[in-house]
Amino acid sequence: MALVGAVVALAGATVLPFVELRPNRLVPGAMHGFAAAGPWAFAVWALVAMGFTAAFLRGVKARLVAGSVSAIGIVAALSWALGSAADTLLAGQAPVSRVSMGAGVWVMLAGAAILGFAGQERTHRVLWRLVAAAVVLVALFGAFHLGGLERISLVREFEVRASSFWGLLGNHLALASAGVGLGVMFGVPLGLLATRNRRARGVVLGVTGVIQTVPSLALLGLLIVPLSALSQAVPALRAIGVHGIGAAPGLVALTLYALLPVVRNTYVGLSGVDPAAVDAGLGMGMSRGQLLMRVEFPLALPLIIEGVRTASVLLIGITTLTAFAGARNLGVLIIEGLGQFAPDLILLGALPTIMLAVAADSALSAVGRAVTPEGVRT
Amino acid sequence: MIRLEGVTRRYGEKTAVDELSFEVAEGEVCVLIGPSGCGKTTTLRMINRLIEPTGGRILIEGRDIMSLPVEELRRGLGYVIQSIGLFPHLTVAGNISVVPRLLGWDKARMAARADELLRLVGLPPEAYRDKYPRQLSGGEAQRVGVARALAADPPVLLMDEPFGAVDPLNRERLQTEFARIQRELRKTVIFVTHDIDEAIRLADKIAIMRDGKLQQFASPEELLNHPANKFVHDFVGADRALKRLVRVKVSDVMRSPATVFANAGEIGFREAAGRRRFTYVLEPDGRLLGWIDTHDLDQGLSAEEAITLVDAGEASVGPDTSLRDALSRMLGLGFRSIAVTDDGCRLIGEVTFSSVEAAMAEGDEHIAAPAEADAG
Repeated sequence: MALVGAVVALAGATVLPFVELRPNRLVPGAMHGFAAAGPWAFAVWALVAMGFTAAFLRGVKARLVAGSVSAIGIVAALSWALGSAADTLLAGQAPVSRVSMGAGVWVMLAGAAILGFAGQERTHRVLWRLVAAAVVLVALFGAFHLGGLERISLVREFEVRASSFWGLLGNHLALASAGVGLGVMFGVPLGLLATRNRRARGVVLGVTGVIQTVPSLALLGLLIVPLSALSQAVPALRAIGVHGIGAAPGLVALTLYALLPVVRNTYVGLSGVDPAAVDAGLGMGMSRGQLLMRVEFPLALPLIIEGVRTASVLLIGITTLTAFAGARNLGVLIIEGLGQFAPDLILLGALPTIMLAVAADSALSAVGRAVTPEGVRT
Repeated sequence: MIRLEGVTRRYGEKTAVDELSFEVAEGEVCVLIGPSGCGKTTTLRMINRLIEPTGGRILIEGRDIMSLPVEELRRGLGYVIQSIGLFPHLTVAGNISVVPRLLGWDKARMAARADELLRLVGLPPEAYRDKYPRQLSGGEAQRVGVARALAADPPVLLMDEPFGAVDPLNRERLQTEFARIQRELRKTVIFVTHDIDEAIRLADKIAIMRDGKLQQFASPEELLNHPANKFVHDFVGADRALKRLVRVKVSDVMRSPATVFANAGEIGFREAAGRRRFTYVLEPDGRLLGWIDTHDLDQGLSAEEAITLVDAGEASVGPDTSLRDALSRMLGLGFRSIAVTDDGCRLIGEVTFSSVEAAMAEGDEHIAAPAEADAG
């Protein structure tokens, strides 16, 4: 796998365009190769070479370390290379000129990701990941303030929107979390119901499954009409912010999407408990409630958390779509970017969304491992 | 102690248990046996109300079990099942402490009780208390299952084919240990099995069932000597005489053999042997060293050369061994007698073919042709 990563990174660092110099933020401009990065190009090439070496090292650990160092190094050096290229290319250009990231940047990042994750399936060292994240953040921070990264078009888009960006990010996180929270609130009891009652099982699993197949935009559109009717009919709901457009239809849709992973994993987790353990528990004089709290839930919890993780990643993505129904979150930036044909504005909405999803994924994986009882760890 | 009065369980048209009545006295082991589907497990599960009877009543110490809250009833009835059902997320000690925790014991008492029970079932507490179920072998897991059922010292144990899933060698060991523990604790035990040998070995009373109906309720000896009908006769099998030997312990029929100390010399050996050919040779502390064959002495071997050394573990049996096991050991070794030794390998007696024959013959006259008609 390390070899694949190194080859991908090499392709990004040689044949593909690195940056695009444009007269202003909307019109296309001229592509520039990796040479525009100047001396930083050599640093990246050296790190790609290290990635190649990693593929041929003998020891598993040596391979892992070399691959990871190469991956983190490429990401860190790239931020400086970008800054350097922006500095060089923008020298003497009009102030409205922009330098945008080209395909080469994304391909190199993809190569670095493959290099970094190759072999990681064997180690879940949280410390190692934190160190990697810290190195990349320090490099980004440095490149931003000292290396010219702030002149990249993406950063310029951010600067224009700095006043609203953090609010949108906060809203995004709040809406997605509320969806997951409500999904758990309804999903876990529904999953439990599905294990206890055979007729309920068909209905619950069937309906949540069907909801999942409804396209997100269609679901949002469908919710607008009944929610505005409801808001008209019940002033109390209107007072707490329920309208046909805005966050309300978004939250309802997100909750519905969160249901399937949570319900299904709760059901699978609970029904996976050894029937002999249930028989023994009841036979020894546990009440159904005691059995549930002391035996069934502890054993099913890792799977339930796994469902919450799936739901979280799914919802952080879908939340961008709720902007179409009037919710204010990172999706707003994407929609505006689409409307203006401004690719870097789209990125300003998309990149933080991806990062939120990755962060939620790792955090909930860690929670899942932490709640796995020692006796059933593999 | 436990009394079933006309207990019936119907599932729609089908009657799983039909008008079952019997009584088990305190401290007795009652084995429920029969072919699969005969209702034995249903009967057991009605006693702790995992299945509710559709008719009749069950009394424990004179009280109708329906008059107690169901959890309270079950906490007084230890429950062991074939698939064990240990909780995988709890340690061995945690599993044993399930019922004590429900009863609100304090931590120190639960820990002490878990250790005590582990010792009782033959698992050193230091090595086992912190293990998880997945780290146990089948036999060890079932020992923990028994310990868990005994945790709150319930007067009654319900055991549903407890040793059915372990290999034959371990099953025999578990049976022996169960018999030892039962001698110590004198619980009232209802024990379901389909293995007639296990039933004969462990039971004080056997309830043999077929199609939900009781065929015979009797002691193992009674069942072997006077099968009530053809079904029981066939179920017990043609080797009733051999089975009877399961109920006889070596210590019941052993006699004291001729012995001599190893340092006695040829004269001493011949004197001790008298008219017999073989004499057991002992160490000064009474441990079994081997035996001496006077024919070897006659052939001119020296006293030392004539001693056949034996491994006491191989060529002897304990006093609690069943006569059938002793017989099978004799046949395996090709001997007509076998030494009986105690835990310290000291010789305490011997069992011979003729004593086995005598035990087999006992009751033979009772095995007349049973009634051809089925009871029903």
